[in-house]
Amino acid sequence: MTDTASTARQGALDALPMFLPAVPFALVLGIAIMGSGLLPLLGWSSSPIIYGGASQLTLLTLLGDGAAVAAAVTAALIVNARHLMYSAAMAPVFQQQPPWFRWVGPYFLVDQVFVLSMLRANEEPAAFRAYYLGVGVTFWLLWMIATASAMVVGPIVPREWQLGFAVPVLFTALLVIGVDRWPKAAAAGVAAAVTLLAADLPHRSGLLLGAVAGIVAGILIEKARG
Amino acid sequence: MSALLAIVLSGIGTYFSRAVFILALANRRIPRPFRLAMEYVGPSVMAALVATMLVGPQGQIAAGPAELSALVVAALLAWKTRNHLLTLGGGMAVFWVVRALGAL
Repeated sequence: MTDTASTARQGALDALPMFLPAVPFALVLGIAIMGSGLLPLLGWSSSPIIYGGASQLTLLTLLGDGAAVAAAVTAALIVNARHLMYSAAMAPVFQQQPPWFRWVGPYFLVDQVFVLSMLRANEEPAAFRAYYLGVGVTFWLLWMIATASAMVVGPIVPREWQLGFAVPVLFTALLVIGVDRWPKAAAAGVAAAVTLLAADLPHRSGLLLGAVAGIVAGILIEKARG
Repeated sequence: MSALLAIVLSGIGTYFSRAVFILALANRRIPRPFRLAMEYVGPSVMAALVATMLVGPQGQIAAGPAELSALVVAALLAWKTRNHLLTLGGGMAVFWVVRALGAL
């Protein structure tokens, strides 16, 4: 039992440095929540309910912009479609876990938890579970605290700084860091161009049109190259 | 109330996207075309989101020299450093400096 506890503690310790990249996210999200016009507690409830920075940011920014619920939710979900890949990669590891953990575990499956716990995929099921929960619960707690703190800090910043512009800057960072070969850059270019051309469509639906156009363009380019 | 609905729906969808293979399809292989499509979801959605944020409520382009130069610098920083924090800081710094210059 002490073994399990120390494994969980190791997970918690490993989670701490991994949280650093999430800090700017939390800050921008806090500002976006306060700028969205939603009740602060309602906006913050997205942290425990959705628990995914990019999805939360997308949803709250679009809702604040007056987007339709269906468009905002669809956009928020496709932003985090990579979770499907995590789920698929984790499935064999979770096969050896008890049912309760197969239900509870996925809730904590964010990028950093995936990266850290995959390194322990070959350990004993009980040790893996302890480590996963150590990382997952620590990361979750930090996210709850960080997003709440950012909502307090955000509004203190003078309005003229226009901190809301940090949202597109951060998404640009995510975009560029995610591009590891040129068809992805082409897909991004097509997506941006189509979104701008479709900017007149109601409820920001040009966003979805642009995203789909980019995905199709990327696949076609990859196919053409063989 | 519609905001709460949107948050709850997104929460259910997000949980489902993390749980689906773990709960149900553990031994199935993901079809290749689907895997390929998912690779392009990230860049396409991010680019579309950034483009959306540069457009005003009436569909007009709402980005000036400060916004555009900040995003170009952010893209370069992200490409060179692969660091979110540095990219955010650098992009915002350029945004503020160019805007201050424009206001002179």
